[in-house]
Amino acid sequence: MLADTSLLTMLTTTPLFAVGLTLAAYLIGNALFQRLKRPSWLPAILIAALLLAGALALIGLPYATYQQGATWLTVLLGPATVALGMPLYQQLPRIMELWRPLAICLPIAATLAAFYAMAIAWLLGSSDTILASIAAKSVTAPIAIGITEQLGGTVPLLMGALLITGVVTIPCVSLAARLLRIDDERLIGFALGLNGHAIGTVRAFEISPQAGAFASLGMSLTGIFTALLLPLAWRLMEMGG
Amino acid sequence: MPALSGFLWLVSYWLIGEVVIHFTGLPISSGVIGMLLLCATLAVRGRVPTSIASAAQPLIALLAMLIMPGVVGVFFIIGELAGQWTAILIALLLGTLLSVITTLWLLKRLITPTHAR
Repeated sequence: MLADTSLLTMLTTTPLFAVGLTLAAYLIGNALFQRLKRPSWLPAILIAALLLAGALALIGLPYATYQQGATWLTVLLGPATVALGMPLYQQLPRIMELWRPLAICLPIAATLAAFYAMAIAWLLGSSDTILASIAAKSVTAPIAIGITEQLGGTVPLLMGALLITGVVTIPCVSLAARLLRIDDERLIGFALGLNGHAIGTVRAFEISPQAGAFASLGMSLTGIFTALLLPLAWRLMEMGG
Repeated sequence: MPALSGFLWLVSYWLIGEVVIHFTGLPISSGVIGMLLLCATLAVRGRVPTSIASAAQPLIALLAMLIMPGVVGVFFIIGELAGQWTAILIALLLGTLLSVITTLWLLKRLITPTHAR
């Protein structure tokens, strides 16, 4: 512990401490990411999250206290999700060209995104709680939290699953695109958003606004589809097992 | 000022999403409902007002930062799940690789030359 407890208590009475810590970790994470020549296996968000976790541990700030202050930032996740409606609209003509293949692909791919991970975890002997916590791993955070609570999973584990899934989706998509010889930014964007939720979508916007719009579409459709069907499928599995 | 009124639009759409959820009981987040409503409104108007563009662009760029406080929580439950992590990691890594390959393979299969750019 670096700071003495009374100073820490004083600083954490204001949410600005958590806000400042988050902004600093994010900016340093991004700067390091640029300095390391943008490695695809170590995205900026992962560097930033590690820095932030390290800083919290170092100053001995309990996560719950931090999280409470950081609400001042996370509340913006709502309007930020709404904002994705803008690139969606701008790419609407290109999306309509592909509506049929996208509509067929989405239910299958979104189901498998949840199924593969759950099946592997189940084969490796994971508990029901763990299965319920990682089921929504490809769904954007605000929707995934609701699904996980419904299934009886733990939200912190879900958030970790979201981080890992989002981070590994990026190299997986570049690998799979190379294997299947795909260079269409629309497909790459859609796959990034469908599998890698907000983290994949941020990556898609780095590729191009078009990829970003297809990622937003993939992310929101996966969220809606999974929210509607996963709790139902879970109940059926519970009845069957 | 345009950014501020654009932000008010985004917040309003989010709140409308909350109202929709309250009355319909849909298990979707209000952000997604707001996103679809915003997209529909823009399609009806036929253009993106400067105010909305100036609020939406910086927010989209910050999306990754906004989920950071939540994802950091995982580092504080590492101890609780000791012994389970190998299975969880394998499930997430392998599961994601498989589902990414399936998604791209399906899309490639479904998209015929008539869809070419």
